[in-house]
Amino acid sequence: MASLQERLDEFKKSFESGAPPYKAPHEVIETMHRATAELKATGIEGRALKVEDRAPNFTLFNQDHVQVDSTDLLRQGPLVVSFFRGHW
Amino acid sequence: MELEAPQQIHSEVRALGARIVVITPELERYTRALHKKLNLSFDILTDLHLKVAEQFRLVFTLPDYLRDLYKSFGSTLDRFNDEPEYRLPMPARYIIDKAGTIRAANVNADYTIRPEPSETLRQLRTLSAAAAD
Repeated sequence: MASLQERLDEFKKSFESGAPPYKAPHEVIETMHRATAELKATGIEGRALKVEDRAPNFTLFNQDHVQVDSTDLLRQGPLVVSFFRGHW
Repeated sequence: MELEAPQQIHSEVRALGARIVVITPELERYTRALHKKLNLSFDILTDLHLKVAEQFRLVFTLPDYLRDLYKSFGSTLDRFNDEPEYRLPMPARYIIDKAGTIRAANVNADYTIRPEPSETLRQLRTLSAAAAD
């Protein structure tokens, strides 16, 4: 199977081609590129927590409204934490 | 697409003694449906008003012109995330060891670029090999 990035790139290519099914207008694509470039230019990536930093502990509700504590999880082993902006 | 990728590696991640959690500002009533639809074996945690994302210093505000564009598509972040100011986390993937130290960090302001799941596995294997020494 194609890698995740290959599939994302394929989607991006299809979206940015302006062809169906998305038919994205050129201005829309330009606007998205501009926003990404501006965000990168703020240097935000360099300010995020990085390797060797201490990870903050967190307690959050999961999809079943059960409270999950990162301290409990880490006691059992390493944790992969993915931040997802949502599917909106 | 981006939640299916961690699902594909989750059993291998578990075999390495680790686990995956996804953190999103999306409200629980939406994560519940998404979790069920994709039949995920890891938790999606709701980070209401981005309190945890702020601590990882990942939060940015969508510029007005982009907010207007998304609204014109019918995307309403205020409804899904209760974020009237249209703040979002940058996509990021961290590996945290048992001691609570970050061992791998992958952060990109370009949300069309994501770390490969195979890379996550490779890093976890390195970590578990180091722990065994």
